[in-house]
Amino acid sequence: MGALLGPIRVLKVVNDYLLQLGRALAVVALAIMVIVILAQVFFRYVLNSALPWPDEAARFMMLWLTGLIAPMAYRRGGFVAIDMLEQALPRRTGGILALTLLVLSLFVLAVGIQIGWSEVTGFGGRFATASLYLPISITFDEWFRIPRSWMMASLLVGFALLILVNVELILRQVVTLFGNPDDLPPLAELDSAGAE
Amino acid sequence: MLIWFLPVFLVILMIGMPVFFALLFAPGALLILEGQTRDLTLLYRNLYNGMDSFPLMALPFFMLAGEIMNRGGITIRLVEFSQAIMGHLRGGLAHVNILSSILFAGLSGSAVADTSALGSTLIPAMEKNGYTRKFAAAITAASSVIGPIIPPSGIMIIYAYVMGESVAALFLAGIVPGILVGVGLMVMVRIMADRYDLPKAERIVHHDQRISTLEYWVSFVLLRLNLGGIIYALTGFSGIRSERVLDDGTTIGPAAWTIWLTLAVCLVVAHLILMAYRKQVDHDFRMVCKKAVAPLQTPIIILGGILIGVFTPTEASAIAVAYALFVSFFVLRSMKLRDLGPVLARSAMGSATVLLLVGAAVSFKTVVALSMAPQVLADFILSLSENPLVLLFLINILLFIVGMFLDAGPAIIILGPILGPIFVEMGVHPVHFAIIMSVNLTVGLATPPMGLVLFVASSVSGERVETISKAILPFLAVEVAVIFLITFVPAISMTIPRLTGFVTP
Repeated sequence: MGALLGPIRVLKVVNDYLLQLGRALAVVALAIMVIVILAQVFFRYVLNSALPWPDEAARFMMLWLTGLIAPMAYRRGGFVAIDMLEQALPRRTGGILALTLLVLSLFVLAVGIQIGWSEVTGFGGRFATASLYLPISITFDEWFRIPRSWMMASLLVGFALLILVNVELILRQVVTLFGNPDDLPPLAELDSAGAE
Repeated sequence: MLIWFLPVFLVILMIGMPVFFALLFAPGALLILEGQTRDLTLLYRNLYNGMDSFPLMALPFFMLAGEIMNRGGITIRLVEFSQAIMGHLRGGLAHVNILSSILFAGLSGSAVADTSALGSTLIPAMEKNGYTRKFAAAITAASSVIGPIIPPSGIMIIYAYVMGESVAALFLAGIVPGILVGVGLMVMVRIMADRYDLPKAERIVHHDQRISTLEYWVSFVLLRLNLGGIIYALTGFSGIRSERVLDDGTTIGPAAWTIWLTLAVCLVVAHLILMAYRKQVDHDFRMVCKKAVAPLQTPIIILGGILIGVFTPTEASAIAVAYALFVSFFVLRSMKLRDLGPVLARSAMGSATVLLLVGAAVSFKTVVALSMAPQVLADFILSLSENPLVLLFLINILLFIVGMFLDAGPAIIILGPILGPIFVEMGVHPVHFAIIMSVNLTVGLATPPMGLVLFVASSVSGERVETISKAILPFLAVEVAVIFLITFVPAISMTIPRLTGFVTP
């Protein structure tokens, strides 16, 4: 099992880095969402002229927020599951069950990322968003209309990061089952708000 | 063949697959077995489109507002305020715990946040006052389920979105049931206070409190505006501002100066009432109340905005964030700039997992519709009985059992689309059914063996989950009774939304 520890360490470093980056970007996205919606309220009720773009811009940010930070929640055990059976079973059987479920989840993710790729690169992604533009010259003369694929890429990136996390979790589970779990580098604990 | 996806789903859910993956795996696997691989794209698109929603945005915002409010300062103010009102009763701190939960529920929509915030201040205080630790933890956990019932409420936003109901209607429908749960618990505490001789407490914990000048003026203005606003609303009955019909049949509204003058008079009256009241109460009580004004304005802004019809719930939630930031940065000064990053990250992470779940639920729902599952299930349920009251009783038991094992959010996401249409078909109002489901599954957060709130109460108090589970039983009995009351007396939940016109009769 020692042979697996090398890849696990590498994957941990990669995931640590990518997920920290994702978390930072998600924080920015949430802050922008708040500002954009407050701007919408201000323009609509105070200045009496509604802006066309805040609704879509905020949804853009919300989708990216989800894609960027959900993998970190998954890695830290933030995805709700009924783990009573796993706890009740003998250690080894429970471990094999957990491994099986991880592999099944990987299957979902693998199918998902394929469809996601064809969606983003496909026909639907080439349409432009309804109201989102980016300036492409310093003088703000020319504006580029953001295509929908930029928005759709959020879920694709999310799936890609989830796969990285899932593979790491699978490798860790294999070591826990057949090797010495104490060799594993520790993962951070969940620190998240909940809807309940 | 497709009908099998429901059993497959239940099995993989029970053996421990994360709900998000199970919601996608079961329908996906069966579509592949059926050879309908093209429909997999449909699943993916529904997952994406399910998250791409403006109404759903209220969820991250309310979570964020709750998190900001939760950062010190506000919890202690609510507790001291509740204590000033109810502390002197027998079983005082237990009553204070319940009242604080009711007030806290108007700021945050989360039972978990309620338990950890109130538990960490009140459980030690109750122990010092002579309560057993298990009792303190149990009443904290039991009263915290009020959080998601009184608006704002995360699970009601989820329900409204997945089922296509109005968030505003669900919010308004939750107010009375939430207060009812609180009152029920207080009655139970009263009974136990006689039997176990529960202690009283001081009404004022900290004497000679000071208040910053800014906070003084913020409370000063807010109190007068609120009271004046209420009086102004009452003048509507007097006819001063009513429309007049002219001779030629046209109607004119009141002149602008009448409105402003009435408002000014109302504010002056409010000021005089408050000044008269100030003479009646002692300094300490006044300070405690003054300090609670700024936090307690949050629910008034949220509900007021939605009720008057000015804001959508999403806009109200963004304004709640702005108000929470204003209060904690400038009025209470309980937050610093460097606290902002972690608070945003916590809310972002919580929102992301819930949003993925909601998206997955939307794709799950399409396959539920494609398969014959609802019809088969409806036939089965109707074969049990044709009396809606009996069926509601049975559904309550089912929801209660589900609530024992699953958190409220995922349970609502899974069961709403399957059960909702059946009961609406039988004549139960969609909003009423939403409240039945929400309250029932929320109480499930505090039921052993798998109660999220129990775990949090255990980690806050250091008491074992099993011990708290036993101590909470009398309170759970009260909550079950309230659930049945809500189920069989629709008026409890439906009156406010009907009166305000958010639900058509």
